[in-house]
Amino acid sequence: MNVTRFLIAVSSLLLGLGLIAPTLTIYPQAGDLTWIIKIIAPEELAVSTYSILGVIQKLFQTGDTFLAVVLAMFSVFSPVLKLSFYWHATGLKDSKKFNSILQRIHYVGKFSMAEVFALALIIVVIKSFPGGSTAELEWGAYIFTFSVICSMLVSFRLDSKKR
Amino acid sequence: MTDISDFDAPKPPAWFGAAIPLLIVLLGAGFYWFITTDKDNGESEDTSNSKINLSGRLSPGQTYYIFASEVEVYPTNLKNESWDQGKKGPDIRYRLFWKGNAVFESITKDDSLIADWSGLSIELNWKDLLGKSVSSDDAIKAGRIRFEEGEKIEIAVEDVDIASDDDVGRHEIEMDKLSIGKNEFKLKKTASSAIRKITLRVLPVGSNIEDLANIMK
Repeated sequence: MNVTRFLIAVSSLLLGLGLIAPTLTIYPQAGDLTWIIKIIAPEELAVSTYSILGVIQKLFQTGDTFLAVVLAMFSVFSPVLKLSFYWHATGLKDSKKFNSILQRIHYVGKFSMAEVFALALIIVVIKSFPGGSTAELEWGAYIFTFSVICSMLVSFRLDSKKR
Repeated sequence: MTDISDFDAPKPPAWFGAAIPLLIVLLGAGFYWFITTDKDNGESEDTSNSKINLSGRLSPGQTYYIFASEVEVYPTNLKNESWDQGKKGPDIRYRLFWKGNAVFESITKDDSLIADWSGLSIELNWKDLLGKSVSSDDAIKAGRIRFEEGEKIEIAVEDVDIASDDDVGRHEIEMDKLSIGKNEFKLKKTASSAIRKITLRVLPVGSNIEDLANIMK
């Protein structure tokens, strides 16, 4: 169980970093008009880098409260809740409670990883813009992915101990 | 006297441990926030000491680029007639005067009631600017004027015609009232001026192209 708890701690640490670290950089371009936009409205072509929490904050600021809440639920609260359940499960000795917690974890787990889908969607949408705008994943996205991988390893370890 | 052993001490509830991952998440986020915030503060302290003043009032003795980024004129000329034949808008050009001398003349913007100028030479490639292979002196199309207290500059706007250029108006500006960046002057129509609005940009000479681009925003 110590190894499992260690993995949960690593996953939690990476999750904390992944939420606040740069995740996505958008490079706006305006095709053939890029040079003139740079003159008359350079702020429109400013490169923007966002963290996951930054995206949520931006969505709140722009009035997209629904999307902000959905993203916050799926990318912040759900993974934290899942890790909390994992930690709780590793301390349980009662097999009935252990199995019940595992069931809850699997339920909560269904709501995680939505942010990966959201990032993928953002990149695809931005790359399809006319004018050559691009988006690139930053290191925060990889940290977040490693957090998810650690979390999956914890899940496998706990499943193997299912009584 | 009570003696509570580890065995007797009240144990925290079972769910208490579930808060540990949350604390670690906060620790990770807090750690990153701490190191990046500290770094940002250090950078801003360094830059504030080494650069030319990029905002606020003008400094005496310092030379500045000054140009009009926008000039708006009233819909009719000084005689309250349409500007050009065929109801075309005026072809606007302006000149900057300092100490009685014309120190800058803009290119002409055809058929415009609101004429605008970027202040940059349009022939240049922006890649050259970003690569800093071109100096800002080469890139900026503006008058170079040194600020001294009580000094004035004058902007004269003309409607360029093939036969003869018509005056649109003149406006004198006290340099004490100017600040670095954008300066707007809204004017009323008079018998001698049909200028509605002048937007002047003031940029310090000697700052790098990146700072100038930031001031231009």
